Amino acid sequence: MSTQRANQLIEAGLWLRLSGDSQGAQRLFERALELDPSNTRAREYLAAAAGSPSRGTSSPFERPPESEPLPGHLKPTAAGLPMAPVLEGDWGAWADGQGGPHESGNTAASTPVVLPVASDGAPADVMELLARDVDLDFEEPVVTPSGDTDEYGVPEGTTQEFGLPAAESELDLLLRGAADLLELDDHSGAVDLLFKAKELAPTDSRVEALRVRSEQMLMSRLENKLGDLGRVPEVRLQPDDIIWLNLDHRAGFVLAQIDGTVSYEDLFSLSGMTRLDTARILAQLIDEGVIAPG
Amino acid sequence: MAEPEPLIGIDLGTTNSIVATVQDGQPVVIKNRTGQGLTPSVIAMAKNGKRLVGGIAKRQAITNPQETVYAAKRLIGRKFSSHEVQDALRSLPYEVIAGQHDDLRIRMGGKDLSVPEISAMILQELKTDAEAHFGRPVSKAVITVPAYFNDAQRQATKDAGRIAGLDVLRIINEPTAAALAYGFGRTVNGRVAVLDLGGGTFDVSVLEISQGVFDVVGTGGDTYLGGEDWDNRIIEWLVFGFAKEHGIDLRKDRMALQRLKDAAEKAKVELSSVKEAALNLPFICTPPGGGAALHLQSTLSRDKLDDLTSDLAERVVGITTEVLGEAGVRASELKEVILVGGMSRMPKIVEAVRGYFRREPCKGVHPDEVVALGAAIQAYALVQPEHELLLLDVTPQSLGVAIAGGSVRRLIPKNTTVPTSATEVFATSKDFQRVVKIMVLQGEHDLAHQNELLGEFVLTGLREAPRGQVEIDVTFDINAEGIVSVHAKDRETGLRQSITVTASSGLTEEELQRIMDEQREYLLAARASDELKTRRVELDSLARDVVDALTRARLLPGGGGLAPDVMPRAEQVLEHARAVRAGEDVAALARACELLTGCLTQLKGPSARDGR
Repeated sequence: MSTQRANQLIEAGLWLRLSGDSQGAQRLFERALELDPSNTRAREYLAAAAGSPSRGTSSPFERPPESEPLPGHLKPTAAGLPMAPVLEGDWGAWADGQGGPHESGNTAASTPVVLPVASDGAPADVMELLARDVDLDFEEPVVTPSGDTDEYGVPEGTTQEFGLPAAESELDLLLRGAADLLELDDHSGAVDLLFKAKELAPTDSRVEALRVRSEQMLMSRLENKLGDLGRVPEVRLQPDDIIWLNLDHRAGFVLAQIDGTVSYEDLFSLSGMTRLDTARILAQLIDEGVIAPG
Repeated sequence: MAEPEPLIGIDLGTTNSIVATVQDGQPVVIKNRTGQGLTPSVIAMAKNGKRLVGGIAKRQAITNPQETVYAAKRLIGRKFSSHEVQDALRSLPYEVIAGQHDDLRIRMGGKDLSVPEISAMILQELKTDAEAHFGRPVSKAVITVPAYFNDAQRQATKDAGRIAGLDVLRIINEPTAAALAYGFGRTVNGRVAVLDLGGGTFDVSVLEISQGVFDVVGTGGDTYLGGEDWDNRIIEWLVFGFAKEHGIDLRKDRMALQRLKDAAEKAKVELSSVKEAALNLPFICTPPGGGAALHLQSTLSRDKLDDLTSDLAERVVGITTEVLGEAGVRASELKEVILVGGMSRMPKIVEAVRGYFRREPCKGVHPDEVVALGAAIQAYALVQPEHELLLLDVTPQSLGVAIAGGSVRRLIPKNTTVPTSATEVFATSKDFQRVVKIMVLQGEHDLAHQNELLGEFVLTGLREAPRGQVEIDVTFDINAEGIVSVHAKDRETGLRQSITVTASSGLTEEELQRIMDEQREYLLAARASDELKTRRVELDSLARDVVDALTRARLLPGGGGLAPDVMPRAEQVLEHARAVRAGEDVAALARACELLTGCLTQLKGPSARDGR
């Protein structure tokens, strides 16, 4: 079971790497190796991923080492919770658990995402979804996508083979995938999946709730990376070096606006894109050393 | 002795605006908070709901066209039904709708705003820049307007000033301000031509200067010729070149077009001082179907730019010839030719003007700043009684009544010093006419319908008599505030009727008051929001430091020698800070910051003492 699960994680990691989320990929490879320490693929991919640009500096809000709470003070609300999201004004999981307000009455923000249970009773996840994708690709090498349901190689109307109604199953798979990625702390990947889910079911409250939550978390992380949004970023590279980067036209547009006079907050206003998209681009430019945070 | 209140002069332009003052006897431009002299006259509501003014608004104008308002000056004080507004609407991407009194409203951010409100946002920005410069409040200003602006346009500009919290001491003509800045009030007696080629308009004015009195004897131009036309030629050239190479039309991509516009303007400015400009726009577009983003790299020479825009330079000369012809002035009669506006930096324009007038035009180092400098000089003169330069308040356009045949009889010619009064006798034009309609007009055109109708009234009960036998006195009075009263009196019966015309921007006094209140509230809210943001950033930073210090202390044996209550206290303070942060109470945030600072000092105490 662990080997199979590890392989699924590796496939998912490769998928994330292809879609540009190398950090998410690295986390999945790490998890695969934990499950199956003898997995050579996981080790190789992890070694390759380790050679790629660093994950950036850690946030000042990351959870400090656990220690015994002082007598007479609040205990952590749930020891097994995943790392608390770094929301704006959230000064870390530690503060949340020990010094912060009592959250027990407000479980909505800290309740982990509940994964839908698959037919065999085991928690299903994005890896399962991706594994099916691979299988289908092998069986039907010529698949011309004609709708959203083809996104994962699942031809429209054939999802019954998984024992679920067509639209529902795809939506559930996406939600499951997003939930899995959130558990793995990959908010970027989750947001992408939820965006697709939103297209599929624009009025579904589960999608909206998960999307809002994951976007907020992702946005907080990205803003945290940018630091004080009143700061003015500067381009670090010469024009001759910039043209060799691997950017798209949207990143090119944002980069063109950075002239040493506009702040991050200004860039959010003038980019014409959503705040999240702009923050992602800016974080990417910082990660790649194209701009200095200012 | 208290320092005198600072005074400012403002050039409220179609494309750019500038604020200046007189400091130590010298007129100087006040730079805006981004260090630029020019502030683009652009307002926008960004997609994130933030109001943007100036350069930042301009930079997103193409990517957010429906929520970006520019060239509001073309609309100020005009009626919605006027052909100027209808012409302008064809090219404006933002929504303009008719107001209740044939005035107009601009839809931005889900609100319908009057044009003075929009202009007030620009004035407010300039006022804030001036306040940052002086370090204290500024409330008095002189604002410039084109010489051809009528009373309604001038009044609307004044209203914009009021909304922005400015006491508008005087509205003066732009060419007059330019001539003042060059010191011609003292050194020149005679005729001077002012050619103002700005970002969006070209104005030609002929001034008669005599002993410090500036009389506009002729004015005209093209309200749709300016630097943007030169930019557009460069954009077309770039787009064409790129399409030839890659088969992609960059104009279809708003982000690409915004970058092209910015780059074209930059290249044009550069080419006034260098022979070649490089245009590098990496990752300008992604090819359809995907693949690596493409770069646009090109070099534009000054010769090429001249070649691309030769017809525009010819238009400048053609319009100048036309205006001088209408004013009955020969080029050789002029004492000076003054070049104003950023575009007059362009060597090709200087060359064209030199060729036409056969003399070296007078141009300063910063031709785009002279109008604001002149306004500042005038503001200074108004409060310095000993100062010689004091422009008199004059009627900007002639006032008269419509007479039979559809023509105009002028009672008060333009440039008449106010207050003033004039009376003329009119007679009936038809046999047994019992009623006469008095139509009060403003403007210079001989045909009545080509002038601005300020108001009309009817004088009834006239004696029945053959035409020409009933005489009516028509009297125009203009008081010091520019309010025009017109009386008509039947000489025989003594019957009289009158009308009072107050220049109106299209806004009623009540509307103005409401807008001013809203503006005040907006500014207070903006200030509070800024303070709130600053406090939250401070709180976050302190909280992080406290969390770090607390973590370190926990790892040290015995808590690093801290007093037993320090850590629990820090936790409580953090908890309190978290609760306060969610609210909007600036004072509570400040108090929380103080508490966090106190905790930090206590947490760091032993380490600092130990030198760790």
